[in-house]
Amino acid sequence: MSQEHKHWSVVPGLLVVALLAACNQDGLTPDRSRLGKPSFKERAPCTPGKWTGGGRIDPTGDHGAANYDNADEQDGGQPVGPDPAPFITGKVTFGFNVFLASDCSVTKGEIEVNGHVAKLAWHVSIHDGVNAFDNQSVSAETFDDNSGGRCLVVGVPFPSMTARVNPQGGFEQVQFEVCDNDRGKAQSGRINGFHVDAMRWRTANHGDTGLTYLTGGNGVDHS
Amino acid sequence: MNGKSMHWVNRLAALGLVVPLTAGLAVTGVAQSVGGQAYSTYVNTPVGYSGPSPLAVLPAISGTDGAEADAQGSTQSIAGALSSDFLNSITSGEIGTAEAGAQSTASAASINILNGLITADEVIANVMSSVTSSGSVSNADGSTFTNLVVAGVPVTSGDGPVAPNTNISLPGVGYVVLNEQIPSGDGVTSSGITVNMIHVVLQSLTGGGCGLLGCLPGVLTTTGEIIVGSATSSVQ
Repeated sequence: MSQEHKHWSVVPGLLVVALLAACNQDGLTPDRSRLGKPSFKERAPCTPGKWTGGGRIDPTGDHGAANYDNADEQDGGQPVGPDPAPFITGKVTFGFNVFLASDCSVTKGEIEVNGHVAKLAWHVSIHDGVNAFDNQSVSAETFDDNSGGRCLVVGVPFPSMTARVNPQGGFEQVQFEVCDNDRGKAQSGRINGFHVDAMRWRTANHGDTGLTYLTGGNGVDHS
Repeated sequence: MNGKSMHWVNRLAALGLVVPLTAGLAVTGVAQSVGGQAYSTYVNTPVGYSGPSPLAVLPAISGTDGAEADAQGSTQSIAGALSSDFLNSITSGEIGTAEAGAQSTASAASINILNGLITADEVIANVMSSVTSSGSVSNADGSTFTNLVVAGVPVTSGDGPVAPNTNISLPGVGYVVLNEQIPSGDGVTSSGITVNMIHVVLQSLTGGGCGLLGCLPGVLTTTGEIIVGSATSSVQ
């Protein structure tokens, strides 16, 4: 009995020490508001499931444009676009199918993105949890956005996911994001004439589209 | 608790059980199948033939699953009929418990049809179909032409849409349908759409002529067709 009491008396003490340590750690941590981007460790865990979709965006490189999804771009700790610069602009078409495990890893997936101005075709292919173009695992995350929808980011942290780039046959680090802002509803919602779903494509060498409402198509969260 | 109260508790409990079951039934099996296909070019003329290319076809999806297929081509050239480059076809689809859908995109750039009779910097065909418990829908939003010129007449300046099923006569050749849209389904439990951005129909006048007994009209016969930018999606 006394032994048991001893254990319980130690627990509050340990909690206090842990709290102090945590506070001290915060004190050493730089001001996150100035960094503007929380670290990957602070991101919310993803929800396992599958996501599918495709369509078209027309990024302009202008945060004031009617199809720029400023409301949701920085949700989930994503950086303000372009990151990296410059903005990818013009017609961008895409299709994808991604399956997430409970540990936020991508078990299988295909992502195809075409940049029509530069005439580039990026492709990511993941089988059995491994990216076919670098033999590395791919991590993702999901989170709620300000529009009441849910977003998926594949290839976190950035840069960590390799895509094949045609026609050169080269490779590039990329990140794919899609936000399903009309989950389970008829695809009739519009914002400024654009579909409410949004997509973002970040590349190490060619820039970033910024989070952009779809001109056409769909992004569907089935988790 | 008296018997009357229990009676209501049971009713509420039953309601609590039944509502989720009903909701579950309502969202289960929103679609049994989804379909998608996309290709950039198809040529079937007296001077040359090339099947749908590059062709992306959505694999069969069973249960609640999803898939994506894509295909690319750097150039396409059928002498006297068609030349183009940066050819891309993508299709994806999914069957979920609350929503099912398919979406397809086909594009081609630097398009030259019939030795300059029709030119465009690029066309993109983009379609989607979706079904939820509230109904089904398809559309071709995002389907556009960039600097399209038909028989020397500019149709679009920059990137823009053209009204669905715009028919332009091509004297001595046949006609072209721009943004040809072919819908399918009942709009409730099924829906689909095919978009052919440029559909040239080649025609020639056969038969006819005048003889001792008078003149007989000729008959316009289809001799070939060229399609650039074709995308299909469907749910049912």
